[in-house]
Amino acid sequence: MPLAINNATKVLPVLLFGGKEYIALMHLHSEVDEQLLRDTFNKFIGKIMQLPPVRSHVKRQYRQREIYYSEILEIDGKNVLFKVGVESGTYIRKLIHDMGEELKVGAHMTELRRTKVSTLSEKDNLVTLQDLEDAVYFYEKENDDRLLNKCLGSIESAIDFLPKVFISDTAVDPICHGSPLAVPGIVKLTNFEKDEVIGIMTLKGELIALGKSVLSTEEIKTVKKGVAIKTDSVIMGIGTYPEYRKIN
Amino acid sequence: MKLPLEDFKHEIFSLREEETDSRYGKAPKDRSIKERINYGFILLDKPAGIRSKTAAYIAKNLMATLGANKMGYSGTLED
Repeated sequence: MPLAINNATKVLPVLLFGGKEYIALMHLHSEVDEQLLRDTFNKFIGKIMQLPPVRSHVKRQYRQREIYYSEILEIDGKNVLFKVGVESGTYIRKLIHDMGEELKVGAHMTELRRTKVSTLSEKDNLVTLQDLEDAVYFYEKENDDRLLNKCLGSIESAIDFLPKVFISDTAVDPICHGSPLAVPGIVKLTNFEKDEVIGIMTLKGELIALGKSVLSTEEIKTVKKGVAIKTDSVIMGIGTYPEYRKIN
Repeated sequence: MKLPLEDFKHEIFSLREEETDSRYGKAPKDRSIKERINYGFILLDKPAGIRSKTAAYIAKNLMATLGANKMGYSGTLED
């Protein structure tokens, strides 16, 4: 589960872009033919229609969700352990229920574990609450920051997957105040189209803010001025970089 | 098997050469503990049987003395 502290909390909404991976345990209400089961799993790959469960936080109407992949890991009688990669907003409990209906025997979910959120995965530095407590203890009582450093990831590592622009030092402070980013401020950039969510970065690689592109990369390369990115949420504190003063 | 954006690397194009002033800001890897907390991110291995909200609350309290006053988490397990 990704946790974000203080200023980093503002990037949480974009983490939902990349989809999720789960390992789930399905309990069939009676045994079915293995080949039929595998075929049914394959039927539920790609775009599916799903009705959110009764107890959910969204409006209850059919919506399309994409299942990127699914793989059966183990079959033990009525229990099926499987791994599934899905679009954000897919209900796994519901997916299992629907597969049960398709198999005509019924099924429900008995266990669920999320193994990836967008680009973050279990392979990265997983931290337990106990690890965290130990890390804070060592830091406060023994002045040893090694454990704490290991627990704390950077906000930048969580947004690897976003397209980015890297901007001049002088352009940083206005962005911290919420001003849009103009073309001359951009020093480096990755490929993106109009209307994409963009990470606005310093040349040192710090995340300043998230914004939406008004121009595409190709357009930015050809024009000399104008607004390139509209600033949405600012992460960096005001005053990190010097205030911009117009020299005339 | 990969999710759509997993391991996606963006190629970076330079429009010009420019230096950055080392007096301001800091590369993420050079941050002090306090700064790392302020721009911090934790991948929590949530214990089974407690709510995400509770786990985030416990984590926040653990780190409150270090200056963590906001702790957000992403998504519930079900969606």
